[in-house]
Amino acid sequence: MSQNTTSKQAILAALGHSSINQLNQKPDLSGLKSTRFLQTDLIKRFEKGLNSVTGELIYPDNGNSIDILKGNVAQLISQGMQVISLVDGIEGNQLMPTQPHDLKHIDYAIIQARFAVAENGAIWVDSEQLNGKNVNTHRVLPFICENLVIVLNKDNIIATMHDAPAKMHLHAGDFGTFIAGPSKTADIEQALVVGAHGAFSLKVYLV
Amino acid sequence: MYQSKSHADNATIFCRDENRVDWHSKALWNLREKRDRAAASVPEWEQLRQLGSEIKLHTLSHLGDYLCQFEQKCIENGIQVHWAKDASEHNQIALNILTTHSVKKLVKSKSMLTEECHLNPFLEKHGIEVIDTDLGERIIQLNNQPPSHIVVPAIHMKKEEVGELFHQKLNTPKGESDPTRLTRAARKHLRDQFLSADAAMTGVNMAIADLGAVVVCTNEGNADMGANLPKLQIHSMGIDKIVPDADSAMVLLRMLARNAIGQPITTYSSFYRGSKVDGEMHIIIVDNGRTDIMQDNILAESLKCIRCGGCLNTCPVYRRSGGFSYNYTIPGPIGIAVGAQHDDSNTIPWACTLCGSCSYVCPTKVPLDKIIAHHRRLKAEQGKLPFGKKFYMPAVGKLMSSPTLLNCTMSSARLALKVIPHTLIKPLSGAWGHYRELPVAPKSSFDTWYKHHKAANKETK
Repeated sequence: MSQNTTSKQAILAALGHSSINQLNQKPDLSGLKSTRFLQTDLIKRFEKGLNSVTGELIYPDNGNSIDILKGNVAQLISQGMQVISLVDGIEGNQLMPTQPHDLKHIDYAIIQARFAVAENGAIWVDSEQLNGKNVNTHRVLPFICENLVIVLNKDNIIATMHDAPAKMHLHAGDFGTFIAGPSKTADIEQALVVGAHGAFSLKVYLV
Repeated sequence: MYQSKSHADNATIFCRDENRVDWHSKALWNLREKRDRAAASVPEWEQLRQLGSEIKLHTLSHLGDYLCQFEQKCIENGIQVHWAKDASEHNQIALNILTTHSVKKLVKSKSMLTEECHLNPFLEKHGIEVIDTDLGERIIQLNNQPPSHIVVPAIHMKKEEVGELFHQKLNTPKGESDPTRLTRAARKHLRDQFLSADAAMTGVNMAIADLGAVVVCTNEGNADMGANLPKLQIHSMGIDKIVPDADSAMVLLRMLARNAIGQPITTYSSFYRGSKVDGEMHIIIVDNGRTDIMQDNILAESLKCIRCGGCLNTCPVYRRSGGFSYNYTIPGPIGIAVGAQHDDSNTIPWACTLCGSCSYVCPTKVPLDKIIAHHRRLKAEQGKLPFGKKFYMPAVGKLMSSPTLLNCTMSSARLALKVIPHTLIKPLSGAWGHYRELPVAPKSSFDTWYKHHKAANKETK
């Protein structure tokens, strides 16, 4: 028996002496799934949640945020920014490199979200979106870019985290993450600083 | 770092600088207030706490089954799972994985478990450079200190001190103390480390049994930046991190950051259900005393903890004695709960007023005050009461259980307080009298007062 198996057996055997009541039932969590909210209400709640984590929502009254995004991307590129896009119909000026480390120069990364959570502004992105139109996408992209841009469909906002597992699509071997705003820290005297190791800013275009 | 291991001795050192104690206490209370606002914003908060407690209790009571299910699912996902009975086995496993891959530089994100196992010095001894990447952790690593708090590890340092440290270690301008500029300097310094690391290691906030996935939460993005660059990623977790499924994880995720620092969720809550393409992912499952804790049904509930740090922020003793006074890696109420059995000073169970504020704020309803009181009993039963307590507590017990003895003693004490100068009897009050004045003696005992008034009452009726 390898040492690893021995330790596993030892731990499992020790758990046999646990004094915790074996009758503790798994609580029923189905009641936490939210009842239906109106879409306009969910959008409002999401914007509030996103703002509370220092993210910004772009959702003009005419609903045409994708044109705004296209315009902004063109402007960024003209300013010499390095832009990479995983979203259909939005073209950046950088291709996905072979090595993830080479993403270090990316100023703006544009990715698609699967869904977002209204209560806390968290946006779920998983392997499927990260791979998008390029199977060699690197997981580090939304973390290493200087600024993150996320495109979110307005039908894909859920009320609370309890509705997330049904929508997560986390297959075997996959990676997925909730992103709530740009990276931040308050490790020096509790002063909030936006832009710790990850993105300095997060803009969400609602389409 | 301190000479004595006794909590009271170390708290005395911490309390010498009164302004600093006030500043420290206020910084933590600020977190408590933010927590209160965040909790109040969720109408079903108390229901979540109850469910959180039930989920953890249920998981702990079926932990063997869940651990096996977790391992099986991980293997299906291509993740390599290792089991470690104790800290030294954990460290050896980590070293073996790292040497197999000829790792020279390891980037780590926050993990109280690896602190508990003293992994960094072990790896450094074997020639591996270890870089802590959470800003607070990096600050204390550069300052050669352990964390003084489990969520905000450098809470004990002022920005001027961080500035001076960065000036020496990272070459920032002398006198720079602006948190934004210091954070930018650390970002630049750590980015170089991320890009040149051979492997990454993280702690685990939750391990989801039916998915075979680990959840890692950070605000800075350091865990994801680390884990997603090099080919090799290692995640260390205590056996108590298991939750049955994603639904359960959501209940805890809704509370974790709200209860820790008043944020609705951490910036990044990442689910790793396998390695990156061409990568390798390892998980080390560690016992290190947890199964021992589970043999005592009161102490066992301490394993419901999700390490939010909420109990530290609210604790009147922690706020005024600092994280380095506890003679254990984890300070504060939860540190006493899971660390008292390792405390050879036998003092930390008394670093508590039993006010119960910690239990009140705990998101998984760990009965911390009850556990701490239980630790006092255990220390007494093991004959490990500190010198003074060992001597006088049995006497006090006898005294209190005999009304005659108690009345006699109290009346002599009242007399003594009246007739003997306080300077002469104060030394008898021991540690209690260090920061207190002796009381003014009441005219009579409560017993006498009560009897008198009861009689007077009857007469008027």
